[in-house]
This record gives sequence, structure tokens and C-alpha cells, in this order.
Amino acid sequence: MLKSDKGTMPKSLRPGGGLEHWTERHLRYLMLAPTVLILLALTIFPSVYMFYAAVHRISPNPDLPWEFVGIGNFARLLTDAQFHVALRNTAVFTIAAVTLEFLLGLGLALLLDRFIRRLGFLKTMLMIPMMLPPIAVAITWKLIYEPQFGVLNEIMFLLGLPVQAWAGDVNLAMFSIIVADVWQWTPFIFLLMLAGLASLPVEPYEAAALDGASSWRQFWDLTLPFLKPVIAIALLLRVMDALRLFDLVFILTGGGPADRTKVLSLYIYQVAYRFADPGYAAAMSLFVLFVTIVLSTWFMKRMRLAE
Amino acid sequence: MVRKFCLALAVAASALAISASAWADITILVPSGSEGDGLRAAAADYAKMKNTKVETVQAPYANVFEQGANAGATKSGVFDIILMDDPWIPFFAENGHLEDLTSYFKGAGVEGPDNDFLSKSLAICRNPYNSGPYVCLPYVGNAQMFFYDAAKFKEAGVESPKTWDDVLKAAKTLTEQGGGRYFGYVFRGGQGNPVVADFMPIFWSHGADMFNADRTKVTIDTPEGAAAMKVFMALRDVSPKGVESYNANEVGTALAAGTAASSINWPNWVATFEDPSQSKMVGKISYSPIPAGTKPGSSEIGHWTMGIMAASKNKQEAFDFMMWATTAEQIKISAERGNPPVRTSVFTDAELTKQEQFRHYPVLMEAIQASTPRPRHPKWPEIENAFGIELSKAVAGTISPEEALKNSQAAVEQITGLK
Repeated sequence: MLKSDKGTMPKSLRPGGGLEHWTERHLRYLMLAPTVLILLALTIFPSVYMFYAAVHRISPNPDLPWEFVGIGNFARLLTDAQFHVALRNTAVFTIAAVTLEFLLGLGLALLLDRFIRRLGFLKTMLMIPMMLPPIAVAITWKLIYEPQFGVLNEIMFLLGLPVQAWAGDVNLAMFSIIVADVWQWTPFIFLLMLAGLASLPVEPYEAAALDGASSWRQFWDLTLPFLKPVIAIALLLRVMDALRLFDLVFILTGGGPADRTKVLSLYIYQVAYRFADPGYAAAMSLFVLFVTIVLSTWFMKRMRLAE
Repeated sequence: MVRKFCLALAVAASALAISASAWADITILVPSGSEGDGLRAAAADYAKMKNTKVETVQAPYANVFEQGANAGATKSGVFDIILMDDPWIPFFAENGHLEDLTSYFKGAGVEGPDNDFLSKSLAICRNPYNSGPYVCLPYVGNAQMFFYDAAKFKEAGVESPKTWDDVLKAAKTLTEQGGGRYFGYVFRGGQGNPVVADFMPIFWSHGADMFNADRTKVTIDTPEGAAAMKVFMALRDVSPKGVESYNANEVGTALAAGTAASSINWPNWVATFEDPSQSKMVGKISYSPIPAGTKPGSSEIGHWTMGIMAASKNKQEAFDFMMWATTAEQIKISAERGNPPVRTSVFTDAELTKQEQFRHYPVLMEAIQASTPRPRHPKWPEIENAFGIELSKAVAGTISPEEALKNSQAAVEQITGLK
């Protein structure tokens, strides 16, 4: 009976056939499709579009066509003095901030490794700065650095020390930003190092102690080599983040005084949105992307070599 | 079945989200702060009166420009009206983002805005300045004034400062006596817009200007510019340490806290200075037009103006709202909400001027009428940035004032393609 029905019914209405059958067969693709579409829309398309924009001069007037300039926007990078200033400032900030964060984070982790296991709340307290939104951190430090009413100058005044302009001083502005960043992100390095230290094997240390190795020797020959993968990851993440610095500079100094704190992200933002030149901004963004990829690849290679 | 229902629900929700902005009859982009708050309140009144829906999108100062520029460049039509700072007008108008209002005025049976508006307030709403068609209507009548503590200035031997020399004389004495805790002058030295805004009145009052009259030549590095720079540097020397990073808040706070005796500032700070909960200087701050240099003093005009976005789909509704919001009655309500007016009748309204909080109105009206617009150029944001960097360097002392002028001249020539 069933057999004869199947022979006369339209294909789409047959049990296990038509739309239902097709849906069952392609269900996995259908389930994946929204994710893939979102991925395409949010990452692939903007990336391709950025490449396309980087080789055009885009007028803010929508009635004017995009003008193809080839590598023109990239060539501008070579002669743009403001870009060079931003590049130099970004390099200074990244090297100084990440080095300080690493040294302090590792030092704190080594000092507090055993102690902190008994005092969990201390770990929580140390985590607070990195849990705060960057904008809140920036505003907090702006109030601390405020020359006339800020707490820092109040302390300086009470101690009889000369008050400073901090973020407003051409010689202290970058230092002020680095201090705020170190305050926020040292706990991140500290936590990673702490996790690394907690996972170290005990036996090599026992053997080293039996051989009479000093604490310094143990640190240099055992701890550091064991921690190398964690250190590499921590530094990689911090360098990538430091290259994108924006919030602190935007709130604390706006890139000044005298361009001393203008960093790449801030300059790209200005070019794209204040000067309405998205083509050139796209070229600069691609440059930053290129630098980040080169640095990351180099780091990864070093990490693999260490292993 | 459940899967189909969920799918249908998701599609419907997406459609609703996409068309949500279309529900409003007019959408207005306004800045944060008193200017935006005032127009937002007016929009709510209008919506209630007309039984219509007026959406206001409020954003920080810089983001209003960015969002407006994005909406204009993409012809999105997401905003019908934009409340613009007046130096943005050339950028928006010359890039085709703003609607020419001529035909709308004709449709309303008038030639243009009425004569009750201050002439300088109307001049900025035409593009080119004071000669082209109207592309906006003035709403908030900002122009810089000179704020000073009259008692302190009197102590320093200056009864009422008329010139920058008077200001310098008093400020120098007061700073010397202040022992590092009190200063005769304070200004916005922050890189970019702040330092440029506080330099331009001094620049103009010494006969200097950024371009020649027909905008064919950059004229920053001139003897007049050097004279202005000399006064600016002298003022820096009597200002607090760290003034290189000061913006309006720091300057306003210094005056309200009584730690500085004078500054150039915007009129919306009057409300703060006269509010006992925010100021130690209630009733003690005097207001005057910008002091003279070698030429009469001139404020920087900083009006907030309403324009219709060219891509708007509700242009007539937007125009009707703008006409209503700028009537004398509504401008008076706006003034009571803390926004300086743009109409003579409101400036001279006895009901307002007899109140302490509006005692600066005669001075402000004089300041507007003696004001100068920031150089009208579609690349003004870029020009201002370049000029602001060099001024910031001069204020910070990393380059000489002469170098700052020379570098500014070169930078602005490069940006504009002028010599």
C-alpha cells in the first residue's frame, strides 16, 4: 500500500522526501549559516573593505566618486610628520609600559607567590584595576593628576615638594600616561605569572637545593626557563594591547601637550573622523595591523624555539 | 513547528529593529551639555503640542560632528536635523550634507529669518559667510566674553580692563602675590580646539587673521600675528602651571573656586559662577567684551545652529520644527533653560535682564555683535588641529613663538593648498 502511495504522491509530500528531506540533510549547514554570515559581515567584509578604502581617496562629499590612488596613501606615511611623531610615541609608550608592567608583575608574583595563597582577598584587590573600564581609569587618573586640585599635587604641596603639571607638562605627560597604564595592567601580568609559578614542578627545585644552588641560581636556571611560555604570552598580549592605546591618551592629554602623547590610534581616529579622510586612516590602520602581525609572528616563533 | 515560529519571530524582530528609527517623525542630533539639553526639552514640548514623535540623539561634542559627517557621507537620512557648532557649517554645507533653506522660506511665505535675530547670528548661518543662502538657523547665541574678578583687579590697580595691557598688568601683580596658589589669568592651553579658541580673540585684537579677505592666502606668520603671540606668551607666564592641558572645565573650575582672577570663557559658564552650590564667586565675577589689542577686541563666535540634513526624508517637518524652535517665545524659554539667546527681543527682555543670572546679557549681546567667526573653511577641523599643535608647542615652550607661527603658516598652507 505504502509502496503504491509513494509512487503516485508528489515528491515534496513523500515522507522523508522534498523540503523536509533536504532540511534534514543540510541541517548542519543551516545551523552554521548564521554564524558564518555574521563572521563574514563583521570581520571578512570590513577587512576587505578597509583594503579597498586604503587605495582610494574618499571625499566626504557623497556625490564625488572615490578616486583610485594606488599606494598613494601608503606613500603618505613616509612624509607625514604627524604620523612619525605618533609612531615614535607609540613605540616609546609600548616599550616603557610593557617593560615596567612585566618587571613589576613578575617581581610581585615572586614576592607574593606563597603569601597570596593564604590571602585570597589580596589577589582580588590587585585585580580591581584591570577589571575597571579604561575610561573610568582615565578619568580617575585625570583627577589625580589635576594640577590645581589633584590629590597628587596636594601631597607634593604638603611634603613641601614643587607641584607639577603632570599630564600637562611636556616632559611628564608621557610618563603620566605610562604610570596610569602600569597601574591598570601590572595586575594582569602578575596574575599570569602567579598562575605560571603555581604550575611549576617541585622536583627540580628540590634537586637544585640538594646541589646547593642559591635562590638566584634557581630563579635564573629553573624559574625563568619554566615560565618562558607564560612570559611570551603575557608580553604578546600586552604589546598588542599597548599598540592600540587610545582611552588614556584621549581623556588625559588629547595627544598633547606639544604632540608629546599623540599615539597611532588617536591619530588614526583624528584622520578618519575629524579630518574626514577615511582612505588615509585605513592605510595607517593596515600599517598598524602589519606591525602587530610581524611582532606576533616573531613572538610565536621565539616561543616555539624556547619549547 | 517551534523552529519555524522562532525563525519568524527572529525575522520580525530584526525588521522592527531596522525600522525603529523610522518611527520618529523627526530625528535630531544634538550635543551633550546645556545646548543639547535645551533643544531636547524643546523637542519634547513640540512633540506634545503637535502629537508627533521627535527623537533626539545626544552625543559628546566631537561625536556630533563625526556622526553628522558619517550620516552625510553615507546619505543615510538617519538624522533630519543636526545642531551644529558654527565652525562646522562650511564642512557640512560644502560637502553637500546640508539642505539649502531658501525654498523652505519661500514656501513659508517669507524671504528668510526675521530681523529680530542678531545680524552676526544670521551671518554665520549663510554659506559662504554672510553672503550665501541660509543653510541653518541660529539657536544658541554663544560668543566668548572676558570674565574677571573686579575686586581683585581693583586691588591690582586696574579698575576695569579695556585692553590686553590692562589684563597683563593686573594678572602679573596678582600672580606674583598669589604664591603659586592664585593666578591673575588662566586659559585653555590644551592642544587643538582649546588653545586655538583662546588664542583667536587675541590674534584678531592685534589685527591678525588666518587668511586674507578673499581666502586666497594664509596670513598667520605676520607682524600682527607676532604681536598677538607675544601677548599670549606673556599671559601664559602669569597662568597656572599645567595650563598646557587645560580645557573649559579646568578654566571654569579655577574661576569658580576663586583660584584665578580672569579668563576668556563661554557664556554658559555664567550659570555655574552664579550657583552657590558650584561656585565660591557668586556675584563677584564681572563680564566684559574681549579686551582690545592694537585693534578693537573681538570674541570668537560659537553659536549652535540647526540645519536640515540633505538626506533627510522629513525635510518639511524638520523645517517646521526649526521655525517653531527659533521663534522669540521659544528662544526665551531656551534662555530660561540656560542657553544664551540669538534674538534682540530676548536679550532686552526686561523680565529676564532684571534677574541676576541674566545680568551678563547686555555684554554678551555686545560681544556677539563684535564677534568674528572662526576661519570659514571646509577643512577647518584639520586646520585647527595643525594650528593647535604649534600653539601647544609654544605654550609648552618646546619651540619659540616665532617658530610656532612659521610652522603654523606652513602647515595651513599645506592643508589648504594656498600660499
